[in-house]
Amino acid sequence: MTTEEKQVLRARDFWTSIALIAAALFFLWKTSSIPFFNTANAGVRSADWFNSAALVPFALFGALLLCGIGLLVIAIREGGATRALKAAGIGVDRAELARLGALAIILLSYIGALVPRVDFIISSALLITALFWGFHRGAAARRWIAVSGIAAAALYAVILHGPQAEWRAGDDDWVALGAWAILTVLMLADARRWPEGRRLAPIVAVLSAIVPFLLVSAMAFGFSQNVPARSGVLFSHIEVAYYTQFRPWWREMTSGDGD
Amino acid sequence: MDSVLTQLAGFGAAFANLASDPATYVYLVASVFLGIVFGALPGLTATLAVTILTGFFGNKIPLEQSLIALIGAYVGAIYGGSYPSILLNIPGTAASAATAMDGHPLARQGKGGEALGLTTTASFIGTIFGTIFLLLFVWLLLAISRNITSPEKCLLALFGVLLSGTLMSEDLALKGWISGLIGLSMAMVGLDPILSETRFTFGWSYLMSGFQVVPVLMGAFAIPQIVDGMRATLLAPEPPPVGRITPSLREIGRRLPTIGRSGVIGTGIGALPGVGEDVAGWVSYGVGKAASREGHLFGKGSRDGLISAEAANNAAIGGALIPLLVLGIPGSPPAAALLGALKINNVIPGPTIDPGLILHIVAILVMASLTMMLMGLLTARVFILVLRIPRTVFLPIVLVLTTIGSFSVGGGINDLYLMLGVGAVATLMGIMHYPIAPLVIGVILGGLFDETFRRTLLVSDGDLSVFVTRPGACILLVLNVALILSQVGIVKRGFGRLMGRSA
Repeated sequence: MTTEEKQVLRARDFWTSIALIAAALFFLWKTSSIPFFNTANAGVRSADWFNSAALVPFALFGALLLCGIGLLVIAIREGGATRALKAAGIGVDRAELARLGALAIILLSYIGALVPRVDFIISSALLITALFWGFHRGAAARRWIAVSGIAAAALYAVILHGPQAEWRAGDDDWVALGAWAILTVLMLADARRWPEGRRLAPIVAVLSAIVPFLLVSAMAFGFSQNVPARSGVLFSHIEVAYYTQFRPWWREMTSGDGD
Repeated sequence: MDSVLTQLAGFGAAFANLASDPATYVYLVASVFLGIVFGALPGLTATLAVTILTGFFGNKIPLEQSLIALIGAYVGAIYGGSYPSILLNIPGTAASAATAMDGHPLARQGKGGEALGLTTTASFIGTIFGTIFLLLFVWLLLAISRNITSPEKCLLALFGVLLSGTLMSEDLALKGWISGLIGLSMAMVGLDPILSETRFTFGWSYLMSGFQVVPVLMGAFAIPQIVDGMRATLLAPEPPPVGRITPSLREIGRRLPTIGRSGVIGTGIGALPGVGEDVAGWVSYGVGKAASREGHLFGKGSRDGLISAEAANNAAIGGALIPLLVLGIPGSPPAAALLGALKINNVIPGPTIDPGLILHIVAILVMASLTMMLMGLLTARVFILVLRIPRTVFLPIVLVLTTIGSFSVGGGINDLYLMLGVGAVATLMGIMHYPIAPLVIGVILGGLFDETFRRTLLVSDGDLSVFVTRPGACILLVLNVALILSQVGIVKRGFGRLMGRSA
């Protein structure tokens, strides 16, 4: 680590130590609501201080508070406080912030909005395509188009089908499928311009559909586990086909009395 | 002598049992292959391989079979990290960072095949070394652990978190401790283990049962890797030409003392709670440089240097399983993921663990290391091809794997929200140079720490002197205090002055 990098880190440590002290104080206050010295419930003494449920949290958050203060002292002593109020001092890199912001939107859209509501194969295909096309060459324009594609599908699903009771609706599956198709076409058209794009983009397009299909099928039918969005437009058809056609055929084949 | 023979006979039976089951080979070949691929792809780690497979297999197939998959991936991934280290000078995993020091210069000299052959054999012997130590010492320690009661257990859990925080931190040890304390605090969420008092659930019923291990593992280890790896990616450079990959038995024979020393160091460091293969590799490399006759060649393509790092990081696997099986304290981050798999199968490591399970694990380690060596020698070209896959292709797939693995463990969509939350915290901590492993070890050991600490005080009626009057507890208390003091500036300076004066 260079001296400059270390100073940037100490400036960041200044802020994280303050956040840590605040969090420790908040949780110490929350812990104070757990019976500690006065553990009588309805007149019956249930526990002493030494086996109170608050004992260990008090110790841990107290230790975190001390560590936070220790970090603050180190940050101030090593010059972190003097740099902490300037953006350059804490090493703000706009390009890096934009990259992290784009990733945060994609992850929130996928896990927070699409996975619970939209067919897993479609939402995962959209995710794989958005991440590959948006980040492979690092161009900002491409990245934000990819983010817009996945965020639009997520917003549609959340705004129109926010409550859990509406998660089984199928129209958001079609919107996500449309977003995936558009991103895939854009990726295939754009990839012609990069040296490795002609080879990679078609592979990614195929993988984006096949990998989630194989994973969700293995999990649902191989391991008999619950999978997200069972009523999804593709998965519901796969499930019906599995139970009405494939499974009886397979049983017939393996039982040996197929004729 | 009798007990050694009994253990060998037990191991022989477990090995024969495992080897005669065709399903073993299916899980073993697939998981070792997957492990090597994970290790070989820079940006994926052994911990991630074991974590993802825990989500997939943890509670879906019998534990005996899921352990084959998890241990196979663990062994494969630690070895697989050596491919990019040697051929591209990019460590595939942190554990193989020391391997690059001499492996890459050898590859540049046109001896890539020889380096890979040496690495494969050293990794195999290293794994076997650690496994032998595991087989011999686990019973001794299990016998001792019967005398380990609540005071010692809580101090051991604390020592594991503190030691992991101290050794895994690349900046201040204080940051490692903060990470461990955050993990311990996270384990306080939910119903407390003694009085069933609700703590820090904020009215969310999902949190009543506390933070689930698998989503925490996925969030802590997978999300930061994905976020960090999704950058503009160019294709990896073409690896230098690699000749025939064969183990030179004469060369290996000449370097047996190095392998033996590295095996002992690797197993010992692996057995330290929370300290993993990467530390083992570097320490062994450092000791090797001081002890080897060709120490002056270290860093310039020394075969001794290469073997020192590789034998140690693989030997650490067996070492890391010793505290895991004896005390339920993981010896390394991948062992923490293994503990997650044991936990979701309701297996409690410690004195009451089924001895048959230990022998089964030892047999899996031996078979996994054999499979690893055969694959390393016969299919190395496939793994060299894998090096050319860009991160932007495999990381999105890893995210999908992580999502479905975490979802299917049991908590459904709430587990995914937890994974995302832990992932965000872990990513920020990574940016600020906080180690993540102590956090995970804290989450895993937090419940044990809380329960045993309060039980100790309950039994002693609030008398804290119990931590001093019991010899084992007293030693552990001294170790904990010494570990903390050793990182305090004023104590460090005072100790340094004292040493200077005595010299």
